[in-house]
Amino acid sequence: MVNKPKIKELLDESSCTHNQSRKVACNAPTPGATTGGCAFEGAQISLFPYADAAHLVHGPMTCLGSSWETRATGTSYPRRDLTQMGFTTDININDVVFSGEEKVAASIDYIMEHYKPEAIFVYATCVTAMIGDDIDLICKQAAEKHKVPMVPVHAPGFVGSKNLGSRLGGEAALSHLIGTREPEETTPFDINLIGEYNVTGDMWQYSPLLEELGIRILSTLSGDGRIAQICTAHRAKLNVIVCAKSLVSLTRKMEERYGIPSISLSFYGRRDTSDGLRAIAKALGNDDLIAKTEQLIAREEAAIAVKLKPYQAFFQGKKAVLNTGGNKTWSIASALQDLGIEVVATAVKKATEDDRAKARQTLGEKGVLMMNPGVEQAKIIDETGADLLLAGGRSLYTAIKKGIAFADVNQEKKKCYGGYEGLLNLAEDLKNALQNPVFKNVLRRAPWEK
Amino acid sequence: MGEIARKKYKPLQVNPFKLSQPMGATLAFLGVDRCMPLMHGGQGCTSFTKVFFTRHFCEPIAIQTSAVTDAIAVLDGGDYSIVESVKNITKKISPSLIGLHTTGMPETKGDDVCGVAAKIDFPLVTVNTPDYEGGLESGWALTCKALIEQLVNPAQETDDNKLVLLPHVSLQPIEVEKIKEFIEGFGFNVWALPDLSRSLDGHLGEKQAALSSGGISVEEIRALSDAGLVISVGDSMQTCGNVLRKKNPEMRHHHFSHLHGLEAADSLAELLLAETGFSGPPIPVARWRQRLQDAMLDSHFSLGQSRFLVAAEPDQIAGICQSLYDAGGRVTLAISTVDSPQLKKIKAEKILVGDLEDAEQQVEDYDVIVGNFHCEAIAHRHHKGLVLRGFPNWEQVGNPLKNDILYEGGAYFLFECANAATAARDEGRRHPEE
Ligand code: SF4
Repeated sequence: MVNKPKIKELLDESSCTHNQSRKVACNAPTPGATTGGCAFEGAQISLFPYADAAHLVHGPMTCLGSSWETRATGTSYPRRDLTQMGFTTDININDVVFSGEEKVAASIDYIMEHYKPEAIFVYATCVTAMIGDDIDLICKQAAEKHKVPMVPVHAPGFVGSKNLGSRLGGEAALSHLIGTREPEETTPFDINLIGEYNVTGDMWQYSPLLEELGIRILSTLSGDGRIAQICTAHRAKLNVIVCAKSLVSLTRKMEERYGIPSISLSFYGRRDTSDGLRAIAKALGNDDLIAKTEQLIAREEAAIAVKLKPYQAFFQGKKAVLNTGGNKTWSIASALQDLGIEVVATAVKKATEDDRAKARQTLGEKGVLMMNPGVEQAKIIDETGADLLLAGGRSLYTAIKKGIAFADVNQEKKKCYGGYEGLLNLAEDLKNALQNPVFKNVLRRAPWEK
Repeated sequence: MGEIARKKYKPLQVNPFKLSQPMGATLAFLGVDRCMPLMHGGQGCTSFTKVFFTRHFCEPIAIQTSAVTDAIAVLDGGDYSIVESVKNITKKISPSLIGLHTTGMPETKGDDVCGVAAKIDFPLVTVNTPDYEGGLESGWALTCKALIEQLVNPAQETDDNKLVLLPHVSLQPIEVEKIKEFIEGFGFNVWALPDLSRSLDGHLGEKQAALSSGGISVEEIRALSDAGLVISVGDSMQTCGNVLRKKNPEMRHHHFSHLHGLEAADSLAELLLAETGFSGPPIPVARWRQRLQDAMLDSHFSLGQSRFLVAAEPDQIAGICQSLYDAGGRVTLAISTVDSPQLKKIKAEKILVGDLEDAEQQVEDYDVIVGNFHCEAIAHRHHKGLVLRGFPNWEQVGNPLKNDILYEGGAYFLFECANAATAARDEGRRHPEE
């Protein structure tokens, strides 16, 4: 059975803004009015990018069958990328009645024999948590037998949201991996990247810059990560949380246990990237490094400004309405502003208090923070004469009806928008959207409807 | 017909392409007009399903979850979350039906969903679809059965011009439409249950994603029982035909294991001719039959040199293998998601219930793969030809319009396979050592 006190404690995260405003816990879904993923999904997302580990999902087919090979998390791992593989016990009625524990143990043996991973994460899911399969014990025994870490992940879907699941994933890494190995060497500028999953290779947009500054990424959780490295994470000088609120509890605990301070930032767009680099240099507290970082920022900003020039001329005077959730409400907004697009409105319905404040700051007093974007966006497009709607697929029809360009910001990402260079990808995509005549053509009236 | 290799003991699935019963149930409910599928379980199952079908069909997918959370999961019998769900769904929109289906979790708890549903004053169809049993095909079929049992009014009279079509889950929207048109060409009024051709065929609707739009209406379902004929396609759907006949024993039921290939299309035409007393088929039907004959000859040379892997749901495998077999393609390996009586009839040298790891371990045995997008990695690693079929295909657009059946679809399908096989041979020549 799930470890109840632990989950309760994780829900009560003191660094979470929801707690201060005494709102309902982050994870209370409304029956019949909920769209988000489950805790299992969140845990999987936070741990999946370890390409040298296998991820064994102990449950029936829904949990893994529809979720493997869905995320394009880039890895430089030279051997077979286990992230792109799905392993599941696919339990049947027999397992439900008589327990699926033997299946888990046998599956671990099978995976070790055929794929030789550096670790195996074993996920409990709703049904297997309910029938009480003891994955802790199985993992312990298997770790002794195979001499590689076996990490039980207790994040069955019913405990809550994706967000909570990410925390539980981080928790699993903290209790079974972090601190179990010593790095071969340490440097004064060792950092961990937390909550960067290297989706579409985002991380590679800025990791060369860190390297150039002499900042070493000691480990990541978990973009392009390796098991051997995350085991040494306790020796880092700084934890850098990249756009992932859900992992603050992990970094707080690492601070308590190992004295590692943490900072939270994003590498989305020019300003965020520059600010992020600055923040890291400052936190590492070395004057030379800070000076070097300023030089690098100046160089990179100048270079990107040249490359963006043709786009800026194109985007001049263009207005956009942004309808998305979470940190995207302000991070995309600021990237759009970097391109010279005016953001007239952004949706804050699904954003935290923190994100709302940031959105206000980014958009300025004039910008509209939409509490009910589904209804408001059409009106705002009319009032402001916006040229572009960035939203989830559902809003496409609104854009078409208004005859303006549309960009899907919720679609599974295929292209990387991170760092300085990512801004060019975003610029190119938006330019294509604005130039595409399809939004005007598609609703042409049929001859027999005229 | 080949040897069916019952799986050697393997404790897990590696690179599975099997999909779950609740997902099949969702899809079936989406073929009913203004229906809201309500999945009873944790919110993740619903979210995964929504994303999965949204990406496959490139359409907004309407679905809701009862969002069972920890406390409720352990303490309550599921009443609360179901009742709350119905309340919350109907607060904002007015569906004509809520399709309540379960997942493994409430089934493990032993929730009495039918009991709860009976107490709710709203049109509801309930179906038990634990995901630790069956698969996509059975989830769809069970739902179709529930729709018939719980909605269709009994009748005694029959209307010989009225025909009910019961398609299996792997038939894409356009295929359902093509079967309907084929039959309508013989003068019948056809109702498909479920009917994805009217709901997920890619039309631009104003009320996106709030509810399914298109599909067979609840009223039409209630009135199905006076049809003179019912045609089930796919062995998973045979029972549904029988169940429908219970509503009106006067109804005649004909079953087809699939509608792929010349012979199957011929027997459907034969049946319709016999039923109508027509002396010949509608002109387009005859024309397409000639084109399929021509396509079989045009493609036989490439197909005849090629060995195929077909990985799909059982009913789809049966059809695809027949199509390929008729024009000389050799299916050396067929991998099915789940077991099914259909497997016995499949035209393949070896038939296996398994996963894509099994497929990859026998990579020497085939040149071209027909399967879902997870097969792309295998095709890529081993330089195989690839024809993307089945759920999911997130790499290409246009899935709802892929038509492989009857004379017309059969012709296009053979051409596509033959071209893929030729391309794979060329590729093989470029990478001879691998
Ligand atoms: S809600 Fe539970 S059963 Fe559903 S996907 Fe998540 S873990 Fe699996």
